[in-house]
Amino acid sequence: MTMLSVTNLVAGYGAHDEVLKGVGITVAEREMIVLIGPNGAGKSTLLKSIAGFLKPREGAIAYQGKPIGGLRPREITRQGIAFVPQEANVFPSLSVEANLEMGGYVDRRATKERIEAAFARFPVLAERRAQEARTLSGGQRQMLAVAMALMAAPRLMLLDEPSAGLSPAASAELFALIKGLHDEGMTVVMVEQNALDALAIADRGYLLVDGSNAREGRASTLAADAEVRHAFLGG
Amino acid sequence: MSGICVSGCGSNTNLEKLLQLTLNGLMAGTVLAVPAIGLTMIYAVLRFVNFSIAGHMAVGAFAGYMLNAWAGLPAVVAVLGAFIAGAAVGIASDHAALRPLRGYSALTLAIASIAVNIMIESTIRFFFGGSPRDYAIPLRRDWTLGFLHVGPQQVENAIIAAIAMAILFVFLTVTTTGKAMRAVADNPMLADSKGIDPDAMARLAIGIGMGLAGIGGMLVGLDTSIDPLVGFRAILSVFAAAVVGGLGSVPGALVGGLAIGLSEELSLLALPATYKSAVGFLAILVVLTLRPRGLLGARA
Repeated sequence: MTMLSVTNLVAGYGAHDEVLKGVGITVAEREMIVLIGPNGAGKSTLLKSIAGFLKPREGAIAYQGKPIGGLRPREITRQGIAFVPQEANVFPSLSVEANLEMGGYVDRRATKERIEAAFARFPVLAERRAQEARTLSGGQRQMLAVAMALMAAPRLMLLDEPSAGLSPAASAELFALIKGLHDEGMTVVMVEQNALDALAIADRGYLLVDGSNAREGRASTLAADAEVRHAFLGG
Repeated sequence: MSGICVSGCGSNTNLEKLLQLTLNGLMAGTVLAVPAIGLTMIYAVLRFVNFSIAGHMAVGAFAGYMLNAWAGLPAVVAVLGAFIAGAAVGIASDHAALRPLRGYSALTLAIASIAVNIMIESTIRFFFGGSPRDYAIPLRRDWTLGFLHVGPQQVENAIIAAIAMAILFVFLTVTTTGKAMRAVADNPMLADSKGIDPDAMARLAIGIGMGLAGIGGMLVGLDTSIDPLVGFRAILSVFAAAVVGGLGSVPGALVGGLAIGLSEELSLLALPATYKSAVGFLAILVVLTLRPRGLLGARA
């Protein structure tokens, strides 16, 4: 069953700046999709448009059959969609615990229990619960950002380059976490420069080039495609 | 500063003078920190310097005056009225004049806030005139601690200021709403995506910030007298306190308030009292040259 569908989406940052020029994707429930493509292809712009950070100029975004294009970010979150931006994805002056509390702001019932559950899942954060988020390492900060997103009990997670700037070890840990979430039934749409690693755990992938769909298919097929490997994966 | 001796009070060695001025500076700085925190809170959430804080200090001073001198309430109780009046006028003036300009540059909003300030001060002058007025508080003898002299009203003002700041500190660090306000100050878009309404938090920050300005105005008035320019005369020191501490940092505004209060008083050791207000200018210049983000500010 289709959970998210994006049809013919046009979006950009300035009046005459069209980053997305008619992109479309569909995401089935419990599916993990990875968006790949060169820099400037519009992958992050697509996630921001779905999350309400950017108003689409044309096209449609539907979540579980209901149109959500142009809604405010908090209205999108209330629908059950969580977005983890690539940068500035935690509140630096708040403690780790307060960040988690803010992650669950959309539904404040049983916040304490959910924070403790998050600490049980992310022991590295539990050790730093009173520490300001600005003092965390890159990997810890990404963990916190994902943990904050989970506090809202989403059904669909949008992850923008979660491994950017992380060490190979931290990156592997994060991919294991994302795979674990997917195995538990979470639907995931992920933008990732580290495309081979992402395709290895995803179900399907979309290749975007210059704000348009270039190719789509099963992750394993895309990963094996000689042209894709050559152009975007360095293979 | 009424009620506090600076010289000729029976002791005049340099050390005694230094300690007396330090005490005076700490008292004045504690009071100064209250509106400075108001200014910095509004800046943290809305990213512009709202100079109408001066007019809102006058609103608080006059609201407190009406409750104290006209309705006969004790000054300590009237301070609550000063907070509420500052908060209410702050939210209303923002809604009417500044909110429609959101999205324009910080400079545009700062200039608009000066216009709001002039309107508020003129409205107060229309109803109350421009002559100085005194609160209905008893004249009390200074307290003497060895060679140190301190006015009971200064002590009361510093305690009221400290209580107001302590309540704010608890609100910002313990309550969910306070943390949500800090989250908006950190990153409004991310806060929005977590379910926090940045506009509602902005209104709350303005209400609390201008309420604190109202308290600050009344405390300054209790120490001297009030007229429509009671806040305007203090705005340079208030702004300097916020800049020295780091615009946007609440603990910074407290440290900045104490630093400016102390510097202004200690300047009397070397300069005539008429130059006291220059200390604020000097502090802003020094901080912006050497450490643009202020003592405790996170960003420039």
